[in-house]
Amino acid sequence: MRLEHRHLARLTVAALVLGTLGLMVYKVRALGYALSDVLPVRQYEVTYALDLDGHGGDVRVRTFLPSSDARQTVSEERDVTSGLHLSQTVDGPNRVGSWTGAEVPDRASIRHTFRVLPHRVVYSLPPDLAVPDSYPASAAAWLRPEKEIQVDAPEIASALARIGADRGTVVERLRRIYDLTSGLAPRPFKGTTDALTALRLGEASCNGKSRLFVALARAAGIPARLVGGLILETGSKRTSHQWVEAYVAGHWVPFCPTNHHFASIPERYLTLYFGDETLFRHTSDVNFQYRFEIRSELVPSPKAKASFTLFNVWGLFDRLKLPFSLLRTILMLPVGALLTVLFRNVVGMPTFGTFLPALLAAAAGQTGAVWGVVAILVVVAVVATVRGAVSWLELLHSPTLAILLAAVVFTLLSTTMLAEKLGVAELTRVTLFPIAVLAICAERFYLSLTEHGAKVAGKELGGTLVVMLACYVVMNSLALQVLVIGFPEVLFLVLAANVYLGRWVGMRLSEYRRFRGLLAGGAR
Amino acid sequence: MSAAASLRARVRALLSRRAEVYGINRRNLGLVYPNNPRRNYPWADDKLLAKEAFRAKGVPTPETLVVCDGLYAVPGAVEALRGRSRFVAKPANGSGGGGILVAGDWDPEREAWRKAGGGEVTPLGLARHLADVVFGVHSNQLEDRAFVEERVEPHAVFQALWADGLCDVRVVVLRGRPVMSMIRVPTAESGGRANLHQGGLGIAVDLDSGRTFRALHRGLAVERHPESGAALLGLELPAWPLVLEVARRAALAVPLGYLGVDVVVDREKGPLVLEINARPGLEIQNVNGRGLGPALARAEAAP
Repeated sequence: MRLEHRHLARLTVAALVLGTLGLMVYKVRALGYALSDVLPVRQYEVTYALDLDGHGGDVRVRTFLPSSDARQTVSEERDVTSGLHLSQTVDGPNRVGSWTGAEVPDRASIRHTFRVLPHRVVYSLPPDLAVPDSYPASAAAWLRPEKEIQVDAPEIASALARIGADRGTVVERLRRIYDLTSGLAPRPFKGTTDALTALRLGEASCNGKSRLFVALARAAGIPARLVGGLILETGSKRTSHQWVEAYVAGHWVPFCPTNHHFASIPERYLTLYFGDETLFRHTSDVNFQYRFEIRSELVPSPKAKASFTLFNVWGLFDRLKLPFSLLRTILMLPVGALLTVLFRNVVGMPTFGTFLPALLAAAAGQTGAVWGVVAILVVVAVVATVRGAVSWLELLHSPTLAILLAAVVFTLLSTTMLAEKLGVAELTRVTLFPIAVLAICAERFYLSLTEHGAKVAGKELGGTLVVMLACYVVMNSLALQVLVIGFPEVLFLVLAANVYLGRWVGMRLSEYRRFRGLLAGGAR
Repeated sequence: MSAAASLRARVRALLSRRAEVYGINRRNLGLVYPNNPRRNYPWADDKLLAKEAFRAKGVPTPETLVVCDGLYAVPGAVEALRGRSRFVAKPANGSGGGGILVAGDWDPEREAWRKAGGGEVTPLGLARHLADVVFGVHSNQLEDRAFVEERVEPHAVFQALWADGLCDVRVVVLRGRPVMSMIRVPTAESGGRANLHQGGLGIAVDLDSGRTFRALHRGLAVERHPESGAALLGLELPAWPLVLEVARRAALAVPLGYLGVDVVVDREKGPLVLEINARPGLEIQNVNGRGLGPALARAEAAP
């Protein structure tokens, strides 16, 4: 009969695993799911922080705002400036934002925030493409000389001839121009360098190299333009960046001679404007200061949300206006429980129940792991203290637990109040920790303390914290969350693992230690 | 032999003996679940229910003096015990030795019972204890039953191991066949309880001869009681065949197939069954210095 159980369990595991794999293959093959879409992408939040002293007069500040295109998605744009009015205009390929105000006081500030999801782009250029005789008007405009892009200068023509970029295919010419400009020595110069100066000095910063690239490309008959923007990195920065685009076979193809990207740019490039422009223009004598504040977070790939169509729980939660965080918490609970089972039955680490570590980890998703641990330790300290105090009264079980709950609530509120008084904003978060989960934790700790003593209760508490942190790491993995949302059948694998573990008779890791004398054979 | 090779050999030897040792997963899946249906656990958890089963099958147990199945029964029980000496009050569903009150001789002048190790219990104190038990204070449930049984007078061999309390013999029985056994001896360190995890002492008993051959205290092999200095090895236990017989009959009296039967040997009445456990601990393997695997195979092969 035992054998039958084992066979049944094996069959169940095999059926679950095969069913899951089959469903996943079907989704990828027939429904166009992509496993790579499961990986989260980095979304940046960029704030223009502009400060100025209006001296009570009229002020005007003009800059460029990013647009969504094939390689960047801009969203949730909002302006929290007061006292200045924002108006937007479109100027060719660029979106221009202008803040104007009358009687603007000193220390006025402009805050403009948006989120952006950038993508890396790589172009493969047709190797045999000859330089066309004519271009559409919109592209042809980018062949003309400009003040600091001296396309007609004899030095540009001779440089072009010297490097051989005046002949051959488009790709050959671009490659030679790229090699020249990206080979220039870097120059930590913040101001503007025109194309000729960069060529004469043989060194330049990003805008000098880019202008020289544009001048040479235009001279070689290829439309090209400067691109201005930011390299996205978390923190506060003032440095903007410039690179170029060349018009090849109907596409604007990016090049960055400064950071050595040929026909490609990395994900972290944010495009703000096209052309040889100045990023900020403003009324003079206003003591204008600017910086970009950049934060980032991982978010599910929008491609995942668009492609996951079968058993679409994501869409369901959207329609019901339920938060995404709830969906991922719910879906991750079975995974957390499996992890707890692994720790209990394979490692041999005792915990307060099977669900509690996973529930604690889910709750800590709202507050952060550290504050979750702090909240648990606060609760445990309260339980130990109150138990000591109440034991003198020799009360029955249930009323004691009810007293504990009151003490826990009171302590959490006092902690928050104290935290607010002391200005420790972070500590106020312990109150965010779901009280229901803490109450269960308190009860389990109390029972363990009463039935098995401080040593066992302490061990279980330690085990619970360890398993909770492990659950926290796994359950908060965005990739895993999106995987389970897109492929809910992965939970069948969790079931299969539990069925397997449910019939697993191996020794727990802790038992190797416990029975080490027997295993070493030195017992007799 | 190189260090790596010797390490590999050691690991291989370690893993080869793994099959003999039972861990909790294997005990539960291989022994407890197939032999002990959960619905039959009450016979192991409720000492009064077990005693009824034992009485029906003629398995000797300490005599029950009174049972309190509610608060109303407490005053009558205390009156019935007034003037009577040497008894033990227990919760029917207690665990780990909690809620056990041991009363000594009745002192007519002080109107109280003496307690082991000094102190006394008044009738009021006994009533309060019984009421606590009935309210489930010691059993983590809403209510329980309290019962009082006569105190066992341990046989001299056991008395010599630990004078202030009771040593019992734990016999692990699989479907009526003894598998392994040990004596559990309390220490002062363990608070007078025989629980091995709380510092109690385990002495392995050879099933065939009834002789003690190995003793373990806090995971270390010892030859003498760490506090009293009493010798622990080579002792010949009294009435050993009868101890095994009583354990076997106790196991067959309840619908549970894999049990730890706790037997005490009374100086006059001989072996008595104290209680049974449906999930007997695995530490008995460490005490015996051998895994349950071969012992189970031997028990299964026995006639």
